[in-house]
Amino acid sequence: MSMDTWVLVTDARHVGAMLAAARGLGTPVTAAVVGSRALAELVAAAGPDTVVWVEQDAQIPVEAYAARLAAAVVLAAPRVLISSTAPAARVLLGAAAARRGSVVLPAVVDLAADGDHLVVQRSAVGGAVIETLETSSPVAIVFTGEDVEAPVGSPAAIETIPADLPASDLCLIRTEPAGGDSSGVRAAARVVSVGRGVKSKADLPLIEELAAALGAEIGCSMPVADDLGWISKDRYVGRSGQHIAPRLYVALGISGAPQHMEGIRDAKVVVAVNSDKDAPIFRTADFGIVGDLYEVVPALVAALGTT
Amino acid sequence: MGTNGKRGLDDQMKTVIAYKWARDGERAAVREDGSVDWRNAKMTAGEDDPAALSAAKAIAAATGGALVGLTIGDGDASWALARGVEQSVSVTDAPTLTDNAQTAAVLAAAVRAIGNVDVIVIGDSEQHPGVPVTLAGLLGWPAVVGIDSATARDGRLEIVRKVGDDHQVLSLATPAVLGVAALSAEESAPGMKELLAARKRPLTKMTLADLGITVADAVSNRGSHLPATKPVRVFDGDPTLAAEQLVGALRADGAL
Ligand SMILES: Cc1cc2nc3c(=O)[nH]c(=O)nc-3n(C[C@H](O)[C@H](O)[C@H](O)COP(=O)(O)OP(=O)(O)OC[C@H]3O[C@@H](n4cnc5c(N)ncnc54)[C@H](O)[C@@H]3O)c2cc1C
Repeated sequence: MSMDTWVLVTDARHVGAMLAAARGLGTPVTAAVVGSRALAELVAAAGPDTVVWVEQDAQIPVEAYAARLAAAVVLAAPRVLISSTAPAARVLLGAAAARRGSVVLPAVVDLAADGDHLVVQRSAVGGAVIETLETSSPVAIVFTGEDVEAPVGSPAAIETIPADLPASDLCLIRTEPAGGDSSGVRAAARVVSVGRGVKSKADLPLIEELAAALGAEIGCSMPVADDLGWISKDRYVGRSGQHIAPRLYVALGISGAPQHMEGIRDAKVVVAVNSDKDAPIFRTADFGIVGDLYEVVPALVAALGTT
Repeated sequence: MGTNGKRGLDDQMKTVIAYKWARDGERAAVREDGSVDWRNAKMTAGEDDPAALSAAKAIAAATGGALVGLTIGDGDASWALARGVEQSVSVTDAPTLTDNAQTAAVLAAAVRAIGNVDVIVIGDSEQHPGVPVTLAGLLGWPAVVGIDSATARDGRLEIVRKVGDDHQVLSLATPAVLGVAALSAEESAPGMKELLAARKRPLTKMTLADLGITVADAVSNRGSHLPATKPVRVFDGDPTLAAEQLVGALRADGAL
Protein backbone atom coordinates (compact mmCIF):
# COMPACT_ATOMS: atom_id res chain seq x y z
CA MET A 1 0.00 0.00 0.00
CA SER A 2 1.34 3.45 -0.82
CA MET A 3 1.56 6.22 1.78
CA ASP A 4 -0.46 8.79 -0.18
CA THR A 5 -1.82 11.41 2.19
CA TRP A 6 -4.83 13.71 2.17
CA VAL A 7 -4.78 16.67 4.54
CA LEU A 8 -8.32 17.90 5.23
CA VAL A 9 -8.42 21.67 5.71
CA THR A 10 -11.26 23.92 6.89
CA ASP A 11 -9.26 26.86 8.26
CA ALA A 12 -5.72 28.19 8.02
CA ARG A 13 -4.55 27.10 11.45
CA HIS A 14 -1.91 24.33 11.69
CA VAL A 15 -1.84 23.88 7.92
CA GLY A 16 1.95 24.29 7.87
CA ALA A 17 2.44 21.59 10.50
CA MET A 18 0.03 19.12 8.92
CA LEU A 19 1.54 19.52 5.46
CA ALA A 20 5.07 19.19 6.87
CA ALA A 21 4.09 15.97 8.66
CA ALA A 22 2.54 14.62 5.45
CA ARG A 23 5.58 15.60 3.38
CA GLY A 24 7.79 13.72 5.83
CA LEU A 25 6.31 10.45 4.54
CA GLY A 26 7.93 11.17 1.16
CA THR A 27 4.83 10.36 -0.88
CA PRO A 28 2.26 12.51 -2.75
CA VAL A 29 0.31 14.97 -0.60
CA THR A 30 -3.16 16.24 -1.48
CA ALA A 31 -4.74 19.08 0.47
CA ALA A 32 -8.55 18.84 0.45
CA VAL A 33 -10.00 22.25 1.26
CA VAL A 34 -13.60 23.07 2.12
CA GLY A 35 -13.95 26.83 2.39
CA SER A 36 -13.31 30.01 0.47
CA ARG A 37 -11.23 30.44 -2.68
CA ALA A 38 -8.79 32.52 -0.58
CA LEU A 39 -8.25 29.59 1.81
CA ALA A 40 -7.70 27.19 -1.09
CA GLU A 41 -5.09 29.56 -2.56
CA LEU A 42 -3.33 29.99 0.75
CA VAL A 43 -3.12 26.22 1.19
CA ALA A 44 -1.99 25.73 -2.43
CA ALA A 45 1.05 27.90 -1.72
CA ALA A 46 1.94 26.01 1.45
CA GLY A 47 3.47 22.96 -0.18
CA PRO A 48 1.00 20.22 -1.19
CA ASP A 49 1.34 18.47 -4.56
CA THR A 50 -2.32 18.98 -5.38
CA VAL A 51 -5.28 20.85 -3.95
CA VAL A 52 -8.87 19.69 -4.29
CA TRP A 53 -11.33 22.38 -3.33
CA VAL A 54 -15.02 22.34 -2.43
CA GLU A 55 -16.36 25.90 -2.51
CA GLN A 56 -18.34 26.70 0.63
CA ASP A 57 -21.54 28.73 0.52
CA ALA A 58 -21.32 31.37 3.30
CA GLN A 59 -24.71 30.34 4.76
CA ILE A 60 -23.85 26.65 4.87
CA PRO A 61 -21.52 25.24 7.54
CA VAL A 62 -18.50 23.25 6.38
CA GLU A 63 -19.90 20.10 8.01
CA ALA A 64 -22.64 19.93 5.37
CA TYR A 65 -19.99 19.02 2.78
CA ALA A 66 -18.65 16.02 4.72
CA ALA A 67 -20.39 13.32 2.67
CA ARG A 68 -19.30 14.96 -0.59
CA LEU A 69 -15.68 15.08 0.49
CA ALA A 70 -15.84 11.51 1.84
CA ALA A 71 -16.93 10.32 -1.60
CA ALA A 72 -13.86 11.96 -3.15
CA VAL A 73 -11.64 10.36 -0.50
CA VAL A 74 -13.05 6.91 -1.26
CA LEU A 75 -12.20 7.33 -4.96
CA ALA A 76 -8.63 8.44 -4.27
CA ALA A 77 -8.17 5.86 -1.47
CA PRO A 78 -5.29 7.61 0.36
CA ARG A 79 -3.42 5.64 3.01
CA VAL A 80 -3.31 8.55 5.45
CA LEU A 81 -5.93 11.19 6.28
CA ILE A 82 -4.95 14.14 8.50
CA SER A 83 -7.05 16.85 10.13
CA SER A 84 -6.53 19.39 12.88
CA THR A 85 -8.63 19.31 16.05
CA ALA A 86 -10.97 21.99 14.62
CA PRO A 87 -14.56 20.71 14.98
CA ALA A 88 -15.50 21.13 11.31
CA ALA A 89 -12.28 19.49 10.11
CA ARG A 90 -12.88 16.52 12.41
CA VAL A 91 -16.38 16.03 11.00
CA LEU A 92 -14.84 15.77 7.52
CA LEU A 93 -12.25 13.34 8.87
CA GLY A 94 -14.84 11.11 10.57
CA ALA A 95 -17.03 10.90 7.48
CA ALA A 96 -14.04 10.07 5.26
CA ALA A 97 -12.45 7.62 7.73
CA ALA A 98 -15.69 5.66 8.17
CA ARG A 99 -16.08 5.18 4.43
CA ARG A 100 -12.41 4.43 3.90
CA GLY A 101 -12.29 1.96 6.81
CA SER A 102 -9.41 3.83 8.46
CA VAL A 103 -8.06 3.40 11.95
CA VAL A 104 -8.76 6.73 13.71
CA LEU A 105 -6.03 8.00 16.04
CA PRO A 106 -6.19 11.17 18.16
CA ALA A 107 -3.49 13.52 19.46
CA VAL A 108 -0.85 12.48 16.93
CA VAL A 109 2.30 14.60 17.14
CA ASP A 110 4.51 12.84 14.59
CA LEU A 111 4.35 10.15 11.92
CA ALA A 112 6.82 8.14 9.88
CA ALA A 113 6.82 5.31 7.36
CA ASP A 114 8.61 2.08 8.28
CA GLY A 115 8.42 -0.13 5.22
CA ASP A 116 4.76 -0.80 4.72
CA HIS A 117 3.94 0.22 8.29
CA LEU A 118 2.96 3.61 9.52
CA VAL A 119 4.46 4.53 12.88
CA VAL A 120 2.77 7.33 14.77
CA GLN A 121 3.65 9.11 17.98
CA ARG A 122 0.67 10.20 19.95
CA SER A 123 0.35 12.17 23.11
CA ALA A 124 -1.51 10.37 25.93
CA VAL A 125 -2.46 10.80 29.59
CA GLY A 126 -3.00 14.53 29.16
CA GLY A 127 0.34 15.02 27.41
CA ALA A 128 2.38 13.30 30.14
CA VAL A 129 3.60 10.52 27.84
CA ILE A 130 4.10 9.83 24.14
CA GLU A 131 2.93 6.44 22.86
CA THR A 132 4.39 4.83 19.77
CA LEU A 133 1.73 3.06 17.69
CA GLU A 134 2.17 1.04 14.54
CA THR A 135 -0.31 -0.11 11.92
CA SER A 136 -0.50 -1.50 8.42
CA SER A 137 -4.08 -0.24 7.91
CA PRO A 138 -5.29 3.03 6.38
CA VAL A 139 -5.14 5.69 9.08
CA ALA A 140 -7.03 8.88 9.92
CA ILE A 141 -5.13 11.19 12.23
CA VAL A 142 -6.18 14.10 14.41
CA PHE A 143 -2.91 16.04 14.40
CA THR A 144 -1.72 18.07 17.40
CA GLY A 145 1.99 18.38 16.62
CA GLU A 146 3.82 21.65 17.03
CA ASP A 147 2.87 24.29 14.52
CA VAL A 148 5.39 25.29 11.88
CA GLU A 149 5.31 28.18 9.44
CA ALA A 150 4.14 26.99 6.03
CA PRO A 151 6.73 27.59 3.31
CA VAL A 152 5.55 29.94 0.58
CA GLY A 153 6.39 28.33 -2.74
CA SER A 154 4.97 28.12 -6.22
CA PRO A 155 1.34 27.19 -5.73
CA ALA A 156 -0.06 23.74 -6.48
CA ALA A 157 -2.88 23.46 -9.01
CA ILE A 158 -6.39 23.72 -7.57
CA GLU A 159 -8.95 21.22 -8.77
CA THR A 160 -12.57 22.08 -7.99
CA ILE A 161 -14.97 19.43 -6.69
CA PRO A 162 -18.60 20.34 -7.38
CA ALA A 163 -20.57 20.50 -4.13
CA ASP A 164 -24.04 19.10 -5.10
CA LEU A 165 -25.48 19.75 -1.68
CA PRO A 166 -28.70 18.19 -0.43
CA ALA A 167 -31.02 21.10 0.37
CA SER A 168 -31.01 22.55 3.90
CA ASP A 169 -29.98 19.50 5.94
CA LEU A 170 -27.66 21.79 7.86
CA CYS A 171 -27.82 25.57 7.71
CA LEU A 172 -26.82 28.66 9.60
CA ILE A 173 -29.89 30.40 11.06
CA ARG A 174 -28.20 33.40 12.61
CA THR A 175 -25.03 34.74 14.15
CA GLU A 176 -25.24 36.83 17.28
CA PRO A 177 -22.52 38.51 19.31
CA ALA A 178 -21.63 36.42 22.36
CA GLY A 179 -21.36 39.62 24.38
CA GLY A 180 -17.64 40.18 24.54
CA ASP A 181 -14.72 41.52 22.62
CA SER A 182 -11.67 39.31 22.83
CA SER A 183 -9.94 40.92 19.85
CA GLY A 184 -7.36 42.57 22.12
CA VAL A 185 -6.16 39.43 23.84
CA ARG A 186 -6.46 37.28 20.70
CA ALA A 187 -4.36 39.53 18.51
CA ALA A 188 -1.80 40.52 21.16
CA ALA A 189 1.88 39.70 20.68
CA ARG A 190 2.29 39.58 24.45
CA VAL A 191 -0.17 38.48 27.11
CA VAL A 192 0.19 38.62 30.89
CA SER A 193 -2.28 36.20 32.44
CA VAL A 194 -3.37 35.79 36.04
CA GLY A 195 -4.67 32.81 37.93
CA ARG A 196 -5.96 32.02 41.38
CA GLY A 197 -2.50 32.69 42.77
CA VAL A 198 -3.59 36.34 42.89
CA LYS A 199 -5.30 36.81 46.23
CA SER A 200 -7.61 39.74 45.64
CA LYS A 201 -9.09 41.90 42.92
CA ALA A 202 -7.41 44.84 44.62
CA ASP A 203 -4.05 43.35 43.58
CA LEU A 204 -4.77 43.62 39.86
CA PRO A 205 -3.09 47.07 39.48
CA LEU A 206 0.18 45.30 40.26
CA ILE A 207 -0.40 43.02 37.29
CA GLU A 208 -1.48 45.92 35.08
CA GLU A 209 1.80 47.63 35.84
CA LEU A 210 3.72 44.61 34.54
CA ALA A 211 1.47 44.38 31.49
CA ALA A 212 2.14 48.05 30.74
CA ALA A 213 5.89 47.55 31.11
CA LEU A 214 5.73 44.65 28.64
CA GLY A 215 3.23 46.27 26.28
CA ALA A 216 0.99 43.26 26.95
CA GLU A 217 -2.73 42.59 27.07
CA ILE A 218 -4.19 41.00 30.21
CA GLY A 219 -5.68 37.50 30.20
CA CYS A 220 -6.56 35.06 32.96
CA SER A 221 -7.47 31.49 33.87
CA MET A 222 -11.13 30.49 33.80
CA PRO A 223 -11.85 30.70 37.56
CA VAL A 224 -10.58 34.29 37.71
CA ALA A 225 -13.20 35.31 35.13
CA ASP A 226 -15.95 32.80 35.83
CA ASP A 227 -15.99 32.17 39.59
CA LEU A 228 -14.35 35.36 40.81
CA GLY A 229 -15.51 37.75 38.09
CA TRP A 230 -12.39 39.93 38.40
CA ILE A 231 -11.64 40.04 34.68
CA SER A 232 -14.16 39.94 31.85
CA LYS A 233 -15.05 36.48 30.55
CA ASP A 234 -13.89 37.15 27.01
CA ARG A 235 -10.31 37.28 28.33
CA TYR A 236 -9.96 33.88 29.91
CA VAL A 237 -7.68 31.52 28.07
CA GLY A 238 -8.14 27.81 27.49
CA ARG A 239 -10.18 25.03 26.06
CA SER A 240 -13.53 26.77 26.58
CA GLY A 241 -12.07 30.28 26.39
CA GLN A 242 -9.64 32.00 24.05
CA HIS A 243 -7.13 30.09 21.96
CA ILE A 244 -4.24 32.49 21.51
CA ALA A 245 -0.82 32.48 19.86
CA PRO A 246 1.19 35.35 21.37
CA ARG A 247 4.95 35.72 20.99
CA LEU A 248 5.16 35.85 24.81
CA TYR A 249 2.73 34.46 27.42
CA VAL A 250 3.41 35.21 31.08
CA ALA A 251 1.37 33.05 33.48
CA LEU A 252 1.23 34.43 37.01
CA GLY A 253 -0.13 32.09 39.70
CA ILE A 254 -1.65 29.68 37.16
CA SER A 255 -1.25 25.97 37.93
CA GLY A 256 -1.29 24.80 34.30
CA ALA A 257 -4.39 22.59 34.11
CA PRO A 258 -4.66 20.82 30.73
CA GLN A 259 -7.81 22.83 29.91
CA HIS A 260 -5.85 26.05 30.40
CA MET A 261 -2.78 24.91 28.48
CA GLU A 262 -4.88 24.02 25.45
CA GLY A 263 -5.53 27.71 24.91
CA ILE A 264 -1.81 28.52 24.61
CA ARG A 265 -0.70 25.55 22.53
CA ASP A 266 0.46 27.97 19.84
CA ALA A 267 2.16 30.53 22.12
CA LYS A 268 5.85 30.89 21.21
CA VAL A 269 7.46 31.58 24.59
CA VAL A 270 5.74 30.70 27.85
CA VAL A 271 6.93 32.14 31.16
CA ALA A 272 5.51 30.85 34.46
CA VAL A 273 5.73 32.47 37.87
CA ASN A 274 4.51 30.11 40.56
CA SER A 275 5.34 29.52 44.21
CA ASP A 276 4.99 25.74 43.78
CA LYS A 277 8.03 24.29 42.04
CA ASP A 278 5.98 21.19 41.16
CA ALA A 279 3.15 23.12 39.47
CA PRO A 280 2.31 21.39 36.16
CA ILE A 281 2.82 24.62 34.24
CA PHE A 282 6.60 24.22 34.67
CA ARG A 283 6.36 21.10 32.48
CA THR A 284 5.46 23.16 29.41
CA ALA A 285 6.89 26.58 30.21
CA ASP A 286 10.07 27.76 28.50
CA PHE A 287 11.14 29.94 31.42
CA GLY A 288 10.04 29.95 35.01
CA ILE A 289 10.52 31.72 38.28
CA VAL A 290 9.71 29.71 41.39
CA GLY A 291 8.57 32.32 43.85
CA ASP A 292 5.84 34.49 45.29
CA LEU A 293 4.31 36.57 42.52
CA TYR A 294 3.88 39.45 44.99
CA GLU A 295 7.66 39.68 45.16
CA VAL A 296 8.47 38.60 41.61
CA VAL A 297 6.09 40.91 39.73
CA PRO A 298 7.47 44.18 41.20
CA ALA A 299 10.98 42.84 40.62
CA LEU A 300 10.11 42.17 36.97
CA VAL A 301 8.69 45.67 36.56
CA ALA A 302 11.91 47.07 37.99
CA ALA A 303 14.10 44.84 35.82
CA LEU A 304 12.23 45.84 32.68
CA GLY A 305 12.59 49.51 33.57
CA THR A 306 16.28 49.54 34.35
CA THR A 307 18.00 47.15 31.93
CA MET B 1 -43.48 18.26 11.29
CA GLY B 2 -45.78 20.20 13.57
CA THR B 3 -47.77 23.08 12.20
CA ASN B 4 -48.69 26.40 13.76
CA GLY B 5 -46.23 25.74 16.56
CA LYS B 6 -48.28 22.78 17.84
CA ARG B 7 -46.33 19.63 18.24
CA GLY B 8 -47.50 16.48 16.52
CA LEU B 9 -46.53 12.96 17.51
CA ASP B 10 -44.08 12.78 14.64
CA ASP B 11 -42.12 15.66 16.18
CA GLN B 12 -41.06 13.42 19.03
CA MET B 13 -37.43 12.50 18.83
CA LYS B 14 -35.71 9.48 20.26
CA THR B 15 -32.49 10.77 21.73
CA VAL B 16 -29.51 8.69 22.82
CA ILE B 17 -27.05 10.15 25.31
CA ALA B 18 -23.78 8.26 24.85
CA TYR B 19 -21.34 8.65 27.71
CA LYS B 20 -18.00 7.35 28.76
CA TRP B 21 -17.12 5.63 32.00
CA ALA B 22 -13.38 5.22 32.12
CA ARG B 23 -10.30 5.61 34.22
CA ASP B 24 -9.43 9.23 34.88
CA GLY B 25 -6.22 10.04 33.00
CA GLU B 26 -5.53 13.01 35.25
CA ARG B 27 -5.12 10.64 38.18
CA ALA B 28 -2.81 8.19 36.44
CA ALA B 29 0.80 8.16 37.62
CA VAL B 30 3.56 8.39 35.02
CA ARG B 31 6.76 6.53 35.95
CA GLU B 32 10.21 7.84 35.11
CA ASP B 33 10.59 5.38 32.24
CA GLY B 34 7.44 6.79 30.63
CA SER B 35 5.19 3.86 31.51
CA VAL B 36 1.82 4.61 33.07
CA ASP B 37 0.43 3.32 36.36
CA TRP B 38 -3.36 3.36 36.20
CA ARG B 39 -3.95 1.72 39.59
CA ASN B 40 -4.98 4.88 41.43
CA ALA B 41 -7.03 6.27 38.56
CA LYS B 42 -10.67 6.17 39.59
CA MET B 43 -13.46 5.46 37.13
CA THR B 44 -15.24 8.62 36.08
CA ALA B 45 -17.57 9.94 33.42
CA GLY B 46 -16.05 12.04 30.66
CA GLU B 47 -15.48 15.70 31.44
CA ASP B 48 -17.86 16.74 28.67
CA ASP B 49 -20.58 14.22 29.46
CA PRO B 50 -22.62 16.38 31.89
CA ALA B 51 -22.89 19.11 29.24
CA ALA B 52 -23.85 16.52 26.63
CA LEU B 53 -26.53 15.18 28.96
CA SER B 54 -27.96 18.69 29.43
CA ALA B 55 -28.27 19.08 25.66
CA ALA B 56 -29.83 15.63 25.30
CA LYS B 57 -32.38 16.43 28.01
CA ALA B 58 -33.23 19.74 26.37
CA ILE B 59 -33.91 17.97 23.06
CA ALA B 60 -36.02 15.27 24.72
CA ALA B 61 -37.99 17.87 26.70
CA ALA B 62 -38.63 20.04 23.64
CA THR B 63 -40.06 17.13 21.65
CA GLY B 64 -41.57 14.98 24.40
CA GLY B 65 -39.52 12.08 23.05
CA ALA B 66 -37.65 9.28 24.77
CA LEU B 67 -34.14 9.64 26.16
CA VAL B 68 -31.94 6.54 26.35
CA GLY B 69 -28.52 6.30 27.99
CA LEU B 70 -25.75 4.34 26.27
CA THR B 71 -22.34 3.39 27.56
CA ILE B 72 -19.78 0.75 26.71
CA GLY B 73 -17.20 -1.34 28.46
CA ASP B 74 -17.05 -1.12 32.23
CA GLY B 75 -19.63 1.64 31.90
CA ASP B 76 -21.56 2.46 35.04
CA ALA B 77 -25.06 2.82 33.64
CA SER B 78 -26.21 4.47 36.85
CA TRP B 79 -24.33 7.65 35.95
CA ALA B 80 -27.09 8.61 33.50
CA LEU B 81 -29.92 6.96 35.44
CA ALA B 82 -29.05 9.01 38.54
CA ARG B 83 -29.23 12.16 36.41
CA GLY B 84 -32.78 11.78 35.25
CA VAL B 85 -32.41 9.40 32.29
CA GLU B 86 -35.24 6.81 32.44
CA GLN B 87 -33.54 3.86 30.76
CA SER B 88 -30.03 2.90 29.81
CA VAL B 89 -28.13 0.42 27.68
CA SER B 90 -24.67 -0.92 28.38
CA VAL B 91 -22.44 -2.94 26.05
CA THR B 92 -20.69 -4.76 28.84
CA ASP B 93 -17.88 -6.63 27.12
CA ALA B 94 -16.51 -3.91 24.82
CA PRO B 95 -12.75 -3.64 25.47
CA THR B 96 -10.80 -0.39 25.91
CA LEU B 97 -9.69 0.51 22.40
CA THR B 98 -6.96 2.74 21.00
CA ASP B 99 -8.67 3.11 17.63
CA ASN B 100 -11.49 5.66 17.91
CA ALA B 101 -13.15 4.06 14.88
CA GLN B 102 -13.55 0.76 16.77
CA THR B 103 -15.14 2.53 19.74
CA ALA B 104 -17.42 4.32 17.28
CA ALA B 105 -18.29 0.96 15.68
CA VAL B 106 -19.49 -0.43 19.02
CA LEU B 107 -21.62 2.67 19.61
CA ALA B 108 -23.02 2.55 16.07
CA ALA B 109 -24.03 -1.11 16.48
CA ALA B 110 -25.67 -0.36 19.83
CA VAL B 111 -27.58 2.58 18.33
CA ARG B 112 -28.86 0.30 15.56
CA ALA B 113 -29.90 -2.25 18.17
CA ILE B 114 -31.76 0.42 20.19
CA GLY B 115 -33.59 1.26 16.97
CA ASN B 116 -35.43 4.30 15.59
CA VAL B 117 -32.91 6.74 17.05
CA ASP B 118 -33.16 10.31 15.76
CA VAL B 119 -30.26 11.96 17.50
CA ILE B 120 -27.15 10.86 19.37
CA VAL B 121 -25.69 13.36 21.80
CA ILE B 122 -22.17 12.58 22.98
CA GLY B 123 -19.41 14.38 24.88
CA ASP B 124 -16.86 15.82 22.44
CA SER B 125 -13.93 14.68 24.51
CA GLU B 126 -10.40 15.99 24.23
CA GLN B 127 -9.11 12.43 24.66
CA HIS B 128 -11.28 10.83 21.97
CA PRO B 129 -11.83 13.53 19.36
CA GLY B 130 -12.39 10.92 16.65
CA VAL B 131 -15.27 9.05 18.28
CA PRO B 132 -18.32 11.32 17.65
CA VAL B 133 -17.31 12.15 14.09
CA THR B 134 -16.52 8.56 13.08
CA LEU B 135 -19.74 7.39 14.73
CA ALA B 136 -21.62 9.79 12.43
CA GLY B 137 -19.60 8.58 9.47
CA LEU B 138 -20.36 4.92 10.19
CA LEU B 139 -24.09 5.63 10.46
CA GLY B 140 -23.99 7.91 7.42
CA TRP B 141 -25.48 10.73 9.49
CA PRO B 142 -24.43 14.39 9.55
CA ALA B 143 -22.57 15.64 12.62
CA VAL B 144 -21.73 18.89 14.34
CA VAL B 145 -19.20 18.75 17.17
CA GLY B 146 -17.61 21.24 19.56
CA ILE B 147 -21.06 22.65 20.30
CA ASP B 148 -22.15 24.46 23.49
CA SER B 149 -25.82 23.48 23.67
CA ALA B 150 -28.75 22.20 21.63
CA THR B 151 -32.51 21.90 21.62
CA ALA B 152 -35.22 20.93 19.11
CA ARG B 153 -37.64 23.12 17.20
CA ASP B 154 -40.19 22.16 14.54
CA GLY B 155 -38.79 18.67 14.11
CA ARG B 156 -35.22 19.88 13.62
CA LEU B 157 -32.26 20.30 15.92
CA GLU B 158 -31.18 23.79 16.91
CA ILE B 159 -27.54 24.04 17.87
CA VAL B 160 -25.48 26.81 19.46
CA ARG B 161 -21.74 26.99 19.09
CA LYS B 162 -19.18 29.70 19.68
CA VAL B 163 -17.06 30.93 16.81
CA GLY B 164 -14.68 33.73 17.80
CA ASP B 165 -16.73 36.37 19.64
CA ASP B 166 -20.01 35.20 18.11
CA HIS B 167 -22.59 32.54 18.80
CA GLN B 168 -23.71 30.69 15.70
CA VAL B 169 -27.17 29.16 15.75
CA LEU B 170 -27.45 26.23 13.34
CA SER B 171 -30.43 24.18 12.23
CA LEU B 172 -29.93 20.50 11.47
CA ALA B 173 -32.27 17.77 10.22
CA THR B 174 -32.32 14.38 11.93
CA PRO B 175 -30.94 11.78 12.18
CA ALA B 176 -27.73 13.40 13.41
CA VAL B 177 -24.84 13.18 15.84
CA LEU B 178 -24.08 16.11 18.16
CA GLY B 179 -20.76 16.39 20.01
CA VAL B 180 -20.97 18.72 23.01
CA ALA B 181 -17.85 20.31 24.57
CA ALA B 182 -18.25 21.35 28.20
CA LEU B 183 -17.50 24.91 29.18
CA SER B 184 -16.83 24.03 32.82
CA ALA B 185 -17.13 21.27 35.40
CA GLU B 186 -20.49 19.71 36.35
CA GLU B 187 -22.35 22.03 38.70
CA SER B 188 -24.33 19.69 40.93
CA ALA B 189 -23.71 15.99 41.23
CA PRO B 190 -26.73 13.85 42.15
CA GLY B 191 -27.42 13.09 45.81
CA MET B 192 -28.27 9.86 47.61
CA LYS B 193 -31.96 10.02 46.68
CA GLU B 194 -31.19 10.15 42.95
CA LEU B 195 -28.58 7.40 43.26
CA LEU B 196 -31.12 5.12 44.96
CA ALA B 197 -33.79 5.90 42.37
CA ALA B 198 -31.29 5.05 39.65
CA ARG B 199 -31.08 1.46 40.87
CA LYS B 200 -34.76 0.94 40.11
CA ARG B 201 -34.57 2.19 36.54
CA PRO B 202 -34.27 -0.33 33.69
CA LEU B 203 -30.81 -1.21 32.45
CA THR B 204 -30.38 -3.34 29.34
CA LYS B 205 -27.10 -5.21 29.14
CA MET B 206 -25.83 -6.20 25.73
CA THR B 207 -22.71 -8.00 24.55
CA LEU B 208 -20.75 -7.65 21.34
CA ALA B 209 -22.17 -11.06 20.33
CA ASP B 210 -25.72 -9.73 20.84
CA LEU B 211 -24.82 -6.88 18.51
CA GLY B 212 -23.27 -9.29 16.01
CA ILE B 213 -19.92 -7.52 15.89
CA THR B 214 -16.33 -8.19 16.82
CA VAL B 215 -13.90 -5.40 17.54
CA ALA B 216 -10.12 -5.32 17.74
CA ASP B 217 -7.44 -2.67 17.46
CA ALA B 218 -5.62 -2.83 14.13
CA VAL B 219 -2.79 -0.93 15.80
CA SER B 220 -0.02 -2.28 17.96
CA ASN B 221 1.50 -0.34 20.81
CA ARG B 222 5.31 -0.25 20.86
CA GLY B 223 5.33 1.37 24.30
CA SER B 224 5.43 4.86 25.73
CA HIS B 225 8.11 7.35 26.68
CA LEU B 226 8.29 10.77 28.31
CA PRO B 227 7.89 13.67 25.89
CA ALA B 228 11.16 15.24 24.80
CA THR B 229 10.32 18.70 26.07
CA LYS B 230 13.04 21.26 25.93
CA PRO B 231 13.90 21.78 29.57
CA VAL B 232 12.36 24.76 31.27
CA ARG B 233 14.90 27.33 32.45
CA VAL B 234 13.95 28.03 36.03
CA PHE B 235 15.30 30.98 37.99
CA ASP B 236 14.82 30.90 41.71
CA GLY B 237 16.28 32.34 44.85
CA ASP B 238 16.35 36.12 45.29
CA PRO B 239 13.37 37.60 43.38
CA THR B 240 15.29 40.67 42.19
CA LEU B 241 18.08 38.56 40.77
CA ALA B 242 15.68 35.99 39.30
CA ALA B 243 13.67 38.77 37.62
CA GLU B 244 16.81 40.31 36.11
CA GLN B 245 17.97 36.92 34.83
CA LEU B 246 14.57 36.22 33.32
CA VAL B 247 14.38 39.59 31.56
CA GLY B 248 17.90 39.02 30.25
CA ALA B 249 16.98 35.57 28.95
CA LEU B 250 13.82 36.87 27.27
CA ARG B 251 15.79 39.66 25.57
CA ALA B 252 18.37 37.13 24.34
CA ASP B 253 15.56 34.93 23.08
CA GLY B 254 13.98 37.79 21.13
CA ALA B 255 10.74 37.53 23.11
CA LEU B 256 11.09 41.13 24.29
C1 LIG C 1 -14.87 21.24 31.08
C2 LIG C 1 -13.86 22.16 31.69
C3 LIG C 1 -13.36 23.21 30.92
C4 LIG C 1 -12.41 24.08 31.46
N1 LIG C 1 -11.93 25.10 30.68
C5 LIG C 1 -10.98 25.91 31.17
C6 LIG C 1 -10.42 26.98 30.38
O1 LIG C 1 -10.80 27.18 29.22
N2 LIG C 1 -9.46 27.77 30.93
C7 LIG C 1 -9.00 27.60 32.21
O2 LIG C 1 -8.11 28.35 32.64
N3 LIG C 1 -9.50 26.61 32.98
C8 LIG C 1 -10.49 25.78 32.51
N4 LIG C 1 -11.00 24.80 33.32
C9 LIG C 1 -10.58 24.78 34.74
C10 LIG C 1 -9.23 24.12 34.96
O3 LIG C 1 -9.44 22.73 35.09
C11 LIG C 1 -8.55 24.64 36.22
O4 LIG C 1 -9.40 24.45 37.33
C12 LIG C 1 -8.17 26.13 36.18
O5 LIG C 1 -7.46 26.41 34.98
C13 LIG C 1 -7.31 26.48 37.37
O6 LIG C 1 -7.07 27.87 37.40
P1 LIG C 1 -5.79 28.47 38.14
O7 LIG C 1 -4.56 27.89 37.56
O8 LIG C 1 -5.93 29.94 38.11
O9 LIG C 1 -6.02 28.03 39.65
P2 LIG C 1 -5.30 26.92 40.52
O10 LIG C 1 -5.29 25.62 39.84
O11 LIG C 1 -5.90 27.03 41.86
O12 LIG C 1 -3.78 27.41 40.59
C14 LIG C 1 -3.33 28.50 41.30
C15 LIG C 1 -1.81 28.46 41.24
O13 LIG C 1 -1.29 29.63 41.86
C16 LIG C 1 -0.12 29.29 42.58
N5 LIG C 1 0.06 30.31 43.61
C17 LIG C 1 -0.67 30.50 44.73
N6 LIG C 1 -0.21 31.58 45.39
C18 LIG C 1 0.83 32.09 44.69
C19 LIG C 1 1.70 33.20 44.86
N7 LIG C 1 1.60 34.04 45.89
N8 LIG C 1 2.68 33.40 43.93
C20 LIG C 1 2.80 32.56 42.87
N9 LIG C 1 1.99 31.50 42.64
C21 LIG C 1 1.01 31.28 43.55
C22 LIG C 1 -0.40 27.90 43.11
O14 LIG C 1 0.82 27.22 43.37
C23 LIG C 1 -1.19 27.28 41.97
O15 LIG C 1 -0.33 26.58 41.09
C24 LIG C 1 -11.95 23.91 32.80
C25 LIG C 1 -12.43 22.85 33.55
C26 LIG C 1 -13.38 21.97 33.02
C27 LIG C 1 -13.85 20.83 33.85
